[in-house]
Amino acid sequence: MLPKYDILTDEQIQTIHDNTMRILQEVGVEFSYEPAIEIFRKHGQKVDGHRVYFDREFVEEMVEGAPSEFTLHARNPEHNLICGGNNTIFMPGYGAPFIHDVDGNRRNATIQDYDNFVKLAGASKNLHMTGGNVVEPQDVPDETRHMSMMYSHITNSDKCFMGSASGYEKAKDSIEITALLHGGLDVIKENPALVCLVNSVTPLKFDDRMLGGLMAYAEAGQATIIASLVMSGSTGPATIAGALSVQNAEVLAGITLGQCINPGTPVIYGSTSAITDMASGALAIGNPECALFISASAQLARFYGVPSRGGGGLTDSKIVDAQSGYESMMTLFAASATGINFVLHSAGILQYYMAMSFEKFMQDDEIAGMVSRYIKGIDMTEDKLAFDVISKVGPGGHYLTQKHTRKNFKVEFYKPSLSDRQSYDGWANNKLTANQRGNQKWQDVVENYVSPVLDPDVKQKIDEYIAKRSKELL
Amino acid sequence: MSIIFDEIKEAVIDGDEDLAVELAEKVIAEGLDLVEAIEKGYIKGIEEVGASWKTGEAFLPDVMMAADAMKTGMGILEAELAAQGGKEHEDKGKIVLGTVEGDIHDIGKNIVGALLTAAGFKVYDIGIDQKPEAFVAKADEVGATIIAASSLLTTTMRAQGELIEYLKEKGIRDKYKVIIGGGPTSQKWANEIKADGWVETADEAIVLCKELLA
Ligand code: B12
Repeated sequence: MLPKYDILTDEQIQTIHDNTMRILQEVGVEFSYEPAIEIFRKHGQKVDGHRVYFDREFVEEMVEGAPSEFTLHARNPEHNLICGGNNTIFMPGYGAPFIHDVDGNRRNATIQDYDNFVKLAGASKNLHMTGGNVVEPQDVPDETRHMSMMYSHITNSDKCFMGSASGYEKAKDSIEITALLHGGLDVIKENPALVCLVNSVTPLKFDDRMLGGLMAYAEAGQATIIASLVMSGSTGPATIAGALSVQNAEVLAGITLGQCINPGTPVIYGSTSAITDMASGALAIGNPECALFISASAQLARFYGVPSRGGGGLTDSKIVDAQSGYESMMTLFAASATGINFVLHSAGILQYYMAMSFEKFMQDDEIAGMVSRYIKGIDMTEDKLAFDVISKVGPGGHYLTQKHTRKNFKVEFYKPSLSDRQSYDGWANNKLTANQRGNQKWQDVVENYVSPVLDPDVKQKIDEYIAKRSKELL
Repeated sequence: MSIIFDEIKEAVIDGDEDLAVELAEKVIAEGLDLVEAIEKGYIKGIEEVGASWKTGEAFLPDVMMAADAMKTGMGILEAELAAQGGKEHEDKGKIVLGTVEGDIHDIGKNIVGALLTAAGFKVYDIGIDQKPEAFVAKADEVGATIIAASSLLTTTMRAQGELIEYLKEKGIRDKYKVIIGGGPTSQKWANEIKADGWVETADEAIVLCKELLA
């Protein structure tokens, strides 16, 4: 495994930390959620209306108490994941309302698309989780949408997945259903099985809905990503250092709240900060500035001793093309090389989080495989140094017929699944672009996918829970 | 006399709100022609910024700061005009703009507001998370003809439809043109809820409003 790359010096990290502490102390953070205000008041923080002014020592102590890594449990223990340390976890994009098809046409996402993305992630060798909210399925009612989405993850794969955090109630449903899957609330309290995404309202605010979600997860001992998306130039300063400080203040305030609710509850430091395109106001994510935010966030999380979330296969392109490839590679590479642990949005995203594409998913799956191979680094063990076979072949000759070659190439070389390495004529037979190859490939994978069997008793309990709740909610 | 109008124009172009206010006060103190100051100063300035925006020379902060400088400075002169009982300065149309209930995204809305202002419309921004009642109350108060509703979430889009339903219930649907926009919205959605217009970007919103008021 490659050592993780630091982009900031120790002094620079300290500078960002000091600037952040100054923001938390002198500017403060606004919480609209009363229970949160109550908690901070109890912990002796200065509260003025909804604004909380933090003590530096208090924040530092609370953040210190958060675990540096934790295991996320899957239905199939082979898919358990360690979140933290040197590990990188890849999964699909999150939250997009649209699908862009192979020709670049746009339509609303459906639950069928949802199932298909979960299957693709389930089948992928490069993605470790099936993610959460992989698209916004607009053909199911939004009152029960969170449960439809959970159901898709549970029935189509046995990898880890994410739950809803849109308010206390929906968060509760996600936790209850996961408890049914794993054998009880006490089981998952011991062995966290669910992650949710809680976003700050940049600049320097948290709203009710998100904090309700945070409350429910922290109480149940499930993991929470506390994430900040600063649009540098519009919702935050146009300087990277300034925007990073705003992000850092928000995330630390959120982590502090989580630790107050349930000391030691697993949290992840999250960043999706990027820049504002000043010609349109749109968020722009496929750029070097975003890669810098990602890299600095990985390092800040290491500094605070918590796992990190950031990056992904990020692009502003509307279709699989050269732009989608080079932008996604830049951001996924930055995330992996600098040590982001939890990479939401690894696969499928187009147009600054507005759309998902199946072809893009296949492109990013390939990028994830390439990047994973790269960060695995160079194996320097005796056998890999290959002295014996070098001496055996000697000057001249070739290695194609050596046992050493046959044994090693499969482990040492990443085998591409989308890239074209054919001869000119081989390629010229069909002249397919990566976009077109991806289109054929994802359909093949979905067609041949077999969902892992779910214990019928467990399935029945989950069916019953969802049926009962749906009746109440609709 | 025309020197101060040029200064006003420059203050708007520079996005210098303080100076725009200072010059408005000077215009009043010196008893200059208020309408002329508005038209040759503030409007002229914002028109130039609008033109550079179109050619891609100006960027969002340039336009938005210019719109703010113009709005505040010109506001002072308009209040003075009203106090003197003079004729109101003719704007291109009044628009009430807000983000619908349950939604707090406002960057896009703010941009739409600034660009419409720069294009000569009088924009009343009622903020985020707003009920139909609030849109209508403001529109009624200022005599607006267009109501513009922004939504960024698939879960709050239907509030745009509810706004139109509300107008129907009150029997005032014909009084206003309702336009909608924001990330997940589309022409198809606008047709479904029978909105009077939809566009994808703030630039197109200017064209749309001009058409609706033509
Ligand atoms: C920044 C942002 C936020 C910020 C908002 C800060 C702020 N002050 O506005 C914060 C962090 C607070 C936030 C919160 C949430 N967000 Co948000 N957010 C975004 C993001 C990244 C950018 C939005 C933006 O400002 N774009 C830039 C502006 C300029 O673009 P725009 O708003 O589309 O406006 C343009 C046009 O649409 C048009 N327009 C806009 N309004 C109008 C109105 C009229 C009348 C007209 C004619 C035109 C028009 O003109 C504008 C200029 O051209 C989008 C993703 C994206 N790329 O858009 C997600 C996104 C909209 N958010 C999303 C979600 C899910 C949320 C949250 C629920 C939680 C979460 N997971 O983050 C909360 C909801 C809070 C709430 N109750 O509203 C989803 C929505 C998915 C869906 N199902 O619909 C998106 C798509 C991201 C994603 N893929 O998950 N978000």
